Amino acid sequence: MRTNPSIPMNWLFPLYLAGAAAIIAPILLHLRRRPPQDRVEFSSLLFLDAQTPVPVSKRRLENWLLLLLRCLALILLALMFSRPFVQSESTAPASPNSATLILLDRSASMRRADLWKQAVAEAEKQLKAAKLTDRIALAVFDRELTPLWSFDEDRHTPANRLNAIQTRLASLTPTWNATQLDRTLIASVPSFDSSTTSLKKRIHLISDLQEGTKLDALRTIAWPAELTLSVHRLDTATNDNLSIALAAREQEGSADTLVRLRLSNTRDSALRDFTLAWQGAPKSDAITAQIPPGASRILTAPPNSTNATTLTLTGDTHDFDNRIFIAPPQPRSVRIHFLGKDATRDEASSPLYYLARALQPTATLAPVLTADEKLPTQPTDILFIVGNAPAEGLRDYLERGGFLVTVPSDATLLKSLLQTDLAVTPDTSDDYRMLGEVQTEHPLLKPFADPKLRDFTKLRFWKHRIISDAGTPARTSGLETLATFDNGHPAILSARIGQGTLIVLASGWHPADSQLALSTKFIPLLYGWLAAAGFSHDPAATLLVGDALPLDAAQVHTITDPENKTHRLKPGETFTSSQIGLHKVQSAAHSQIFAVNLSPEEGRIFALEPSKLAEYGLKLSSASEPQNESATTDQRLTASDTEQSQHLWWWFLMGLLAVLLLETALAGRTRSALAS
Amino acid sequence: MSTATTFLDPAALMRIKSLELRAKVVVEGLWKGMHRSPHHGFSVEFSEYRAYVQGDDPRYIDWKVLARSDRTYIKKFEDETNLRCQLVIDHSKSMKYGSQSYTKADYAATLAATLASFLMKQGDAAGLTTFADGIEEHMPPRNRPGHLRRIITELERPAKAAGTSLDLSVGQLADLLRKRGMICLITDLLAPIEHLEKQLALLGAMGHDLVLFHLMDRAEIDFTFEKSAHFRDAETGAERFIDPQIARESYLKRLQAHRDTIQAATERHNVEYHFCPTDQPLEEVLFDFLSARQRKKASKRVAAA
Repeated sequence: MRTNPSIPMNWLFPLYLAGAAAIIAPILLHLRRRPPQDRVEFSSLLFLDAQTPVPVSKRRLENWLLLLLRCLALILLALMFSRPFVQSESTAPASPNSATLILLDRSASMRRADLWKQAVAEAEKQLKAAKLTDRIALAVFDRELTPLWSFDEDRHTPANRLNAIQTRLASLTPTWNATQLDRTLIASVPSFDSSTTSLKKRIHLISDLQEGTKLDALRTIAWPAELTLSVHRLDTATNDNLSIALAAREQEGSADTLVRLRLSNTRDSALRDFTLAWQGAPKSDAITAQIPPGASRILTAPPNSTNATTLTLTGDTHDFDNRIFIAPPQPRSVRIHFLGKDATRDEASSPLYYLARALQPTATLAPVLTADEKLPTQPTDILFIVGNAPAEGLRDYLERGGFLVTVPSDATLLKSLLQTDLAVTPDTSDDYRMLGEVQTEHPLLKPFADPKLRDFTKLRFWKHRIISDAGTPARTSGLETLATFDNGHPAILSARIGQGTLIVLASGWHPADSQLALSTKFIPLLYGWLAAAGFSHDPAATLLVGDALPLDAAQVHTITDPENKTHRLKPGETFTSSQIGLHKVQSAAHSQIFAVNLSPEEGRIFALEPSKLAEYGLKLSSASEPQNESATTDQRLTASDTEQSQHLWWWFLMGLLAVLLLETALAGRTRSALAS
Repeated sequence: MSTATTFLDPAALMRIKSLELRAKVVVEGLWKGMHRSPHHGFSVEFSEYRAYVQGDDPRYIDWKVLARSDRTYIKKFEDETNLRCQLVIDHSKSMKYGSQSYTKADYAATLAATLASFLMKQGDAAGLTTFADGIEEHMPPRNRPGHLRRIITELERPAKAAGTSLDLSVGQLADLLRKRGMICLITDLLAPIEHLEKQLALLGAMGHDLVLFHLMDRAEIDFTFEKSAHFRDAETGAERFIDPQIARESYLKRLQAHRDTIQAATERHNVEYHFCPTDQPLEEVLFDFLSARQRKKASKRVAAA
């Protein structure tokens, strides 16, 4: 074992060390043995006079090696019972100076009343309390940790830190972010760099410690034993707070979908009454109701007659969580052209009839279906061709990024588009065909990745064409088979031409060719193609502050935030919202409005007890407790832990056993020598 | 001593378990040596012939000599002429002490057995008396086949443990020994000797030839102990704490005084005194004893002449 003078040995039960005094016993016993007990037989004492035995003071210790071993055994026993442990450098600070990190909460909940002012005042108090030789760092946190003044800066300019930090603090205000205390604390541990190793480490957490804060990740780490956490909980006069959040929204939402809201009241709230209304809406439209303290309920939003985007809750003291932003419905128009007679739109046997009925406007998409025998002059997003058509211009259209779906009647169109030799021949058999193999994992058949929609076994095809290459396999022509019939012929093929996509169907969807248009597969198939063409019909995700806006990485965006500031983003850049409210996103293709709301967790402002943090293994030294008392308790706890982890007593026990063995062997040898 | 090298080391001798064999080894060695010895032919007492005079028992006429030389000689009765030697062995506890591999008692037994063996070999009678705090065993001197065997068996018997009571024992002995003879007293004399002189004088007055073998262990002579300890008296069991470093000088002084007293007493009463450290070869002791007898005899003859 290394015994370094700078690493002192400590004892859990130092009182047991007094037991080492028991070594006086063997010493006395060894001394007592000195008046020799050995008898010498002699023939006669006729010529001998008795003498007095040697006085105690002149006695010499006998068998000093045995005595040494016995004393050692007793000392080891005493040491073992006193439970020694080596206090490592980190747990026993060499200097009385401390390294203090002040963590300042600036989450949205700190917007309540004067909490932020209190927090800044508390931070300044801690700063002033620190000695010049102490190291101070300051960081603010909400979802994540933002260092404001590091230990490194502090080491270089400790003298003017108060001014510098005050200046930096003055420019800060609470954000709209949620609190993630666990991430913050975990991130704050490494900020104690190598310069603070010899110092007493402490974190001052200045926060409202709301129950909505996240703590779970703290379970994943082992909190450093030498790092203590002082919690300065800031409280407001009242906790009367109602909060509002969006409840789950229906996925297939249309413009007039109900908006469901989740309302909750703080546990110790004194308020019950609330009013919920769209901003600017007449009073008659507002909902006025009651919610008991600690309860939550789901409400549907009042009728939105004014097309407002903000729902406002009134009736409580803290209004930071009283608004919900809902982006107005903004369907994207999709220009779809059917190359054929527009007159057939209402003929039940024509392909256009089914297209027109399948492509209905939704909350997110507004398909505009045009039909003409000529190619349209204005740009078209998707083009449908059934039968034969002139090929001119189509390849250009595809190469620019167009999307063409065709049901060829002969090979001319395909030959000119793919520029390969292809044969398209009608299947002459009388029997119907069904789909054999469908590559549901292909992006163009994405909707069928859902197991619910994968069943193609009821779909019959009366008539289809055999698309094959003359000699060369279809694959080399750039055509990829997405689905095959049960006779092995391709049913759906696709090819990339330039930036565009070509889809070739061997059989049409209209009843003359197949049951496809009448089956449940038709609309998912169409919308799958729309999605592949860039027109997703997924509703905009519910965004919270701190989430990145869902942007197309290939495009250039201009974002206008709720404060009317504009941000220009290059392709690939992301934008994280730090404001609540509506964000307008303008890209080359279209413009969108995203509503960013406050995290519902942030509205749960009921204050936690600081001791809650101790349950996560953090070493607390609450500022409200008397400093030294808690320090002693802490020390004892730490000592106990350290001792248990080190198990030094075990080594002493081993040593004791070894010494005892040695003593037994030696004593046995001495005795046998005496006997002989 | 040139002879010492040829003698058997007592320690080696004592390793022979059988006392009889031990005695035999010593005596045989001595006999063999004697043939080359300048003291050729000496013995304790040799039988003599004298001219037949009127009145002598004709049974004792040596008919062989008469037939050979036509002279009438009377052969002296062996019983009459031969030496009667009583070996008196101290069996006290103090004799059980021995700093070497054998005790003084072992040495005394071997010495006694050797003497008995030697004497009986040349036709003398030997008896045995053991004593401790009184006479323990008494076998009158005889020279019969098997008597040596009995003596040796007796010597081999473990001694009864008791203290030395020399004066009492010698007194009793005087009662037991009516016929004149030689008394060989083998003892360590570790007892107060105030009365010893009187007893010796008594035995001397009874016409006995007294030989005293004073046995002492080397440790007793030199007191070579190093460590202080409780010394226990083998006889009384009393313990005394002794530091040998301090006690040695006075011990040696007092021992010397003790020996001087004994020597003086023996000289006064014409007792033949042999001081025998137990590391002294037995042959040497025997040889000294025989030489002394020879000298004594010579001096007697001179005195008679």
